[in-house]
Amino acid sequence: MTSTLWILTQGAAVSLFLAFVGAIGGTAFALLLNVAAFSKIGLLRGFYHTYIYFARGIPLLVQALLIFYALPAFGILIGPLTAGGLVLTLYIGAMFAEVFRGGVLAIPRTLWDSTRSLGLPPASVLRKVVVPLVLRYTLPSYINVCVLTIKASSVLSVISVWELTLAAREIVERTLDVFPVMIAASCFYFVMCFSIDRLGRHVEHRLALKGFSGERP
Amino acid sequence: MIEIRGLRKSYGEVEVLKGANLDVAEGEVVTLIGRSGCGKTTLLRCIDLLEEYDEGEIKLDGKLLWYTSAADGSRQRLSEPVIRQMRQRMGIVFQQYNLFPHMTALENVCLGPEFSQKISTRESNEFGRELLARVGLADKVLAYPFQLSGGQQQRVAIARALAMRPRVLLLDEITSALDPELVAEVEDVIRSLLSEGIMMVLVTHAIGFAREISNKIAYVSEGRISEIGPPADVLDRSQDPTLKEFLRRLR
Repeated sequence: MTSTLWILTQGAAVSLFLAFVGAIGGTAFALLLNVAAFSKIGLLRGFYHTYIYFARGIPLLVQALLIFYALPAFGILIGPLTAGGLVLTLYIGAMFAEVFRGGVLAIPRTLWDSTRSLGLPPASVLRKVVVPLVLRYTLPSYINVCVLTIKASSVLSVISVWELTLAAREIVERTLDVFPVMIAASCFYFVMCFSIDRLGRHVEHRLALKGFSGERP
Repeated sequence: MIEIRGLRKSYGEVEVLKGANLDVAEGEVVTLIGRSGCGKTTLLRCIDLLEEYDEGEIKLDGKLLWYTSAADGSRQRLSEPVIRQMRQRMGIVFQQYNLFPHMTALENVCLGPEFSQKISTRESNEFGRELLARVGLADKVLAYPFQLSGGQQQRVAIARALAMRPRVLLLDEITSALDPELVAEVEDVIRSLLSEGIMMVLVTHAIGFAREISNKIAYVSEGRISEIGPPADVLDRSQDPTLKEFLRRLR
């Protein structure tokens, strides 16, 4: 029993690591995607929307298989863990990108008028107005996607990424103790997701205190 | 001084400005009045290029703003950095205050000087505090917009516009969104600016206030300035029946 828990803990650590990679990589990728989304160049905007359609329109499971088996065909040889990180980054990046895009669109026209009338240079508009506001607008949705990332990482077991789900399945195949093991795995997932949720609420609260109107008691 | 000549602007099929002309002399206060939809707010926003206009020209101190004529005579929009420079010479205050909700009063006021005009943080903070004190908000420097009343927010917005040390102040119905008892505090701030000799163009429905502070009142009708002159001439001695009707309804 102790060895079962130890194995699951290791699996959970890998899941957490994958989710971390997916969230960080996905955020960076999403920022890049948003440069395309709000570009003056129509082709880039077109690319953005096409990419989002594909990333959202194909199940993550299929995407994972596609990337894992397609890459070697192009001569790119990467291990399951690297492939898993890549799959998550590409998929979660699309989710984050839409979250951020929504946040930018939520900035009222009146505030754009303010930034324009002050003659602010674009870098300052981004740093002093767009980023702080989008952060506050999108934090709940952002945390939501972070939690999704943890759960999405379980799909990577199909491309033989050894993480929590695969670890649990291996134990079940060996011991046939389906319920105790799966319940234990569920608990691990729940605790991870719950912690992210709480952390998100905490940050939300901290930012809300800094003078955001609307959602204060 | 400001010279506006032949300003035209359409939204799709609808022509809002049909060749508006307006002069604002040094230190003058000009109020635009007119029915809603007559184009007065559009005209005001065009002065700061918050709306693009299709034809005509705007000059500030003899210098053409926003557009230039290309060699072949066609009109060309100036580059963004140049436009930003020009915008810094004007301050605009909006009906809905439009303060940045995530910044304190002081941060709102200092944003322009610090990041557009590259004035040091210390210096712009000092100036920002001075301006907030002038609009009677010395004790609200660190307050966020949601902690302030409408009148206080609007006074912060005025301080923010003044922080750029503008040549012109554009005021777009700045008391229209305020509770009646808060109107006076904002009007007092504008009164206190009259001695500065800063040019002002305002849009308002507060005729009494306009009469008191304006050098000239311009009646905007159907996308043009159809009558302009000293307040008494336009408000009391006009022969234009539509203007008389408009004023009668406001009373």
